[in-house]
Amino acid sequence: MTVSHANVWPIFLLVLLFIPAGCGPESTSSSNAGFAGLATRLAGDQNDQPDRPFRQPEPGDTIVLPRDLGPHPQYRIEWWYLTANLHTPDGQPLGLQWTQFRQALQARAPDKPPPPPSDWPLQSVWMADAALSFQGEHRFEEKLARGDIGQAGAQASPFAVWLDDWQLSTDSQGRWHLRVATGDWRYQLTLERQSPAVRHGDQGFSAKSPDGEGSMYFSYVDLRISGTVSVGNQSWPVAGEGWFDREWSSQFLKTGQQGWDWMGLHLASGAEVMAFRLRSGEQEFRSGTWISPTGDVTSLKTDELSLVPVGFRDTGQGRVPDRWRLEIPSKDLTYTVSAVPGVFWNQGLYPYWESPVRVSGSETGEGYIELTGYRGSSD
Amino acid sequence: MGMVPALFSHYRRHPLQLMSLVLIIVLATGLWSGVWDLTRQARNSLAQSSRLLADRYQVQREDGAPVTVDDFVTLRRQGICVMPWLEVQRPAPQGRVIGIDPLSLNCLARDHPEQANRVKDELASPAVVDIHKAVTIAARGYDSRFQLWLADPSVQLPSGFRLSSGTSGLDTGDLADSFLLNLNALCVLVLLITALLVRSVYRLGLMQRRDSLSLLRRYGVESARIQRYLVVELLLVTTLSAVPGVLLGRLAARLFAGGFDQVMAGLFDTGLYAGSGGWVSALAALGVVVIVVLWGVADLLLPAYARLVRGRGVIRVSIMAAAVAIGLLMAADTLAWVFAGMVLLFAGVGLLTPRLLGAGLSRGAARSGSPLGQWSLQEMAVMMRQLALPAVALQFAVATVIAVQALVSTFEATFYGWLDQRLQGELYIQVPDNHRFRTVEPILASSDAVADWNTVIRGQARVGTITTDLLAVDPDSALVQAWQFQASVAKPWQALAKDGVMVNEQLARRQSVVVGQRLQLTVAGKDLARTVVGIYPDYGRPVGEIALPRSALPAGFQPDFASLAVALSATPGAGERLQTQLARAWQVDHLEVRDNNRVRELARQVFRQTFVLTRAISLLTLALSAVSLLLMGRVFFAGRLWYYQLLHVWGLSMGAIHRRLQWQAVGLTGLIALSALPLGIFMTWVLVARVNPLAFGWSLPMAVYPLFWLELIGLCAVIGLLIAWLSRRAVGDRPPAPVAVNRLDASER
Repeated sequence: MTVSHANVWPIFLLVLLFIPAGCGPESTSSSNAGFAGLATRLAGDQNDQPDRPFRQPEPGDTIVLPRDLGPHPQYRIEWWYLTANLHTPDGQPLGLQWTQFRQALQARAPDKPPPPPSDWPLQSVWMADAALSFQGEHRFEEKLARGDIGQAGAQASPFAVWLDDWQLSTDSQGRWHLRVATGDWRYQLTLERQSPAVRHGDQGFSAKSPDGEGSMYFSYVDLRISGTVSVGNQSWPVAGEGWFDREWSSQFLKTGQQGWDWMGLHLASGAEVMAFRLRSGEQEFRSGTWISPTGDVTSLKTDELSLVPVGFRDTGQGRVPDRWRLEIPSKDLTYTVSAVPGVFWNQGLYPYWESPVRVSGSETGEGYIELTGYRGSSD
Repeated sequence: MGMVPALFSHYRRHPLQLMSLVLIIVLATGLWSGVWDLTRQARNSLAQSSRLLADRYQVQREDGAPVTVDDFVTLRRQGICVMPWLEVQRPAPQGRVIGIDPLSLNCLARDHPEQANRVKDELASPAVVDIHKAVTIAARGYDSRFQLWLADPSVQLPSGFRLSSGTSGLDTGDLADSFLLNLNALCVLVLLITALLVRSVYRLGLMQRRDSLSLLRRYGVESARIQRYLVVELLLVTTLSAVPGVLLGRLAARLFAGGFDQVMAGLFDTGLYAGSGGWVSALAALGVVVIVVLWGVADLLLPAYARLVRGRGVIRVSIMAAAVAIGLLMAADTLAWVFAGMVLLFAGVGLLTPRLLGAGLSRGAARSGSPLGQWSLQEMAVMMRQLALPAVALQFAVATVIAVQALVSTFEATFYGWLDQRLQGELYIQVPDNHRFRTVEPILASSDAVADWNTVIRGQARVGTITTDLLAVDPDSALVQAWQFQASVAKPWQALAKDGVMVNEQLARRQSVVVGQRLQLTVAGKDLARTVVGIYPDYGRPVGEIALPRSALPAGFQPDFASLAVALSATPGAGERLQTQLARAWQVDHLEVRDNNRVRELARQVFRQTFVLTRAISLLTLALSAVSLLLMGRVFFAGRLWYYQLLHVWGLSMGAIHRRLQWQAVGLTGLIALSALPLGIFMTWVLVARVNPLAFGWSLPMAVYPLFWLELIGLCAVIGLLIAWLSRRAVGDRPPAPVAVNRLDASER
């Protein structure tokens, strides 16, 4: 997933403090560059040029676990991303999301120790997003921190990701615990992995353009989740299923790519589907993964799936495709994926749309979509 | 020849006149804009720090150790929205910088958007940088102070941390502001005198140009047109001279910035932040100079204005102004009103003095028996009227110098006296970390190297809700017995040891603390209630302080600074011996030792820097006004040559004429100096009793320095002699010239 747009004041801070002037040679031309695009801009304009270039993922790179749950300082951007479709005991649906990003300003070899915290180094910026969609309301909160001082970070073993008091940690039984608290809502969840990690694309190298650029990408697609969600003084026990993504790269959106549409779906049969498309004008780059109920993984290339918006929602901030037709001809599958009613803009540093979805067609299901680059599109 | 070359031909004939006009304006603009620039920078810095720190609270560690990045992380990991703040005390002209972490402002923006916006506004300032950059700057060897700030005081802090109010409880911003106002007021005086000076030179020019201007009129050029050209000419000369003046001011401001920064730091615990010189402010300084110069000569160029200022009601108005001014000065409780009173007083006195002196001389002339004496006194009365402006300028300058000298000398004497009380003992030995006094107490008690000793322990305490400095001493040490108090109980040191606390004047004034009052204190988290047994002067610092006996410090107290003050015995090598003994006891290789003289010298250095600017401005004022009077006197006597030459024709010897000339000139400047004395004494009182408590937060005794007055009167006499000497050359030079009608006018007498 990527995120887009950059016109609220924290970006002003970043720009003011870190960028002397203009944009870097690699910068994306569009203002929809988003967090990933910012990486290029920041790094391209740093006064103290990185002493080493960022590493680019390439076909043949593989994923090693648990190592790759931890951070990759030699890459420019990465994230830990959870979406969950939960229910209260009385059957009310509840969607939630938590993401933590690392945005490097300087590349660093994995074996090189970070600078001392007392230097307040600025080699990386971390951002954490959390959203809660419940009872027709969508709530969102965002945090920022600099890396390498301990305020935000991630480690592979025992697996932990944190920023301030939001944190994902692992207990001695290998269960994950996610704790997020904001001013008036919070959640505390236990996440149990039901199956091994799914490596997308070619052994984890997930192409993002026909020219071969891509990212390293794996997921835990069927997390069993339970816990408590509180809003104000009221709390609800919740349970359901979740999807966890790990992805890292050094250049995500290419020049000319306007945004992306991503979905992760849990189907009634026990199968799971991930599909995304990157839009650039008339052309688009598609990719996906089919995971059968028994855990067999099939990578889907651009011509092996179709992902077409069939309905739109006018949100006041942009016209968002809220109904999709997903076809996988090789499996003879056709799904209609519909966002639940509501407005699901995540109003952070880079506003993007993220909503729970329902699946109908070849079979039913639920999941999440994440759409970037639609803010400001004509209603 | 066109109009413009005709007018400017005057300066071709008198290039020195143009040069002096230009020089006066350049220097005055330089001084004015330089000081203005410094005070503007200081004001901006104060405003900036108060905007950034408004409604903020500081998080400190319970154990007294300084907070670190790890503490920041600990608190953030617990969900507490603290912000790091690293102030690097880089001296001016580069200026201090504040390092913040813009990323950590995110939580502030959510809960306290107005504060976040305030900080956001400051980010455009060169003084606010990313904290990593601030660390890099600090690493070049500058002192820095790291703090953690919190916006919400209701937050429950984890154990090991406590909240303290962001400010010291004494509004040093106001004090510093007053100090800056003080400097600006002196600058305004300089500007006024500049106006008079320009007026003197310009008037000389106009007198010399009378022939050429009337020639122009006879050629048919209208008077109004000539006036317009003269205004434009002056405007041009002023502007062209003021531009390099402003540049000079900028340069001076950069040169003085370092010292000024230290003064601000020493006096008000604030400094100059990195900033850029705004050209708007330079233009403003330039504009002010142009306006002041034009105002100074307005009556010479604009007849209507001249009629207005010479009106008959002036005496009544000036007496009223002086009376209102004195009332204001007695009653005012803010510095702005005190300065308003001063301006009114100066205006009243300035208008009255030449008239009163002139009237007195005329009366003396009427009573004089000898015709020559009568003529001389009458001539002086005319001088007094004609030279009213430069005479008043000199009067003001002498009065200011008297007052500033008295203030600085009194302060100096009081400050040094106070230093002598405080700096008892020859050596100050810093107690190394974690090495308590107890370890060395037996050594100090038994060593033959030690005659007496005391502790100097500094830390923090709270009085009610405000944070103050804390000084802990041994009340029974002989080294403290010489302290003088502004108010105290009988045997204050015994009372301190029992159940007492002492407070410094700053705290007493601001919090209205009196002897006998019961104070609620918090020291190292422990509440204490003690009775105020003394109020002590504490010069050169803005912050409040309490003094406690060392025995009253709670067990958990962590000093910020701990030192031993030791009076050595007369035995040879006592200092070295003691240092060896202490180093052995503390098991350290090296001791931080400062001798008394060094501490004293440091304090004196700070003191001298504090007043260097004030003294420089007041002396410059004196010099400017002396030159002004000299020039005008020269012009005056040049206009009166004819009379002196007539005296010679009537049979008076040249020597007698020269003596008369000397007597008149010295009489004039002497009278001015004498008239400045009462004004100077009154100003001294205003500075010591009114301005100083308002500007610095402490008072001084009133003292006068008659010897210095004599010096000033002597200086004025020298100026008189110089005027006489200049004029005497002119008298002897030429035979009396025939006087044309157009050279005489109604102002001759």
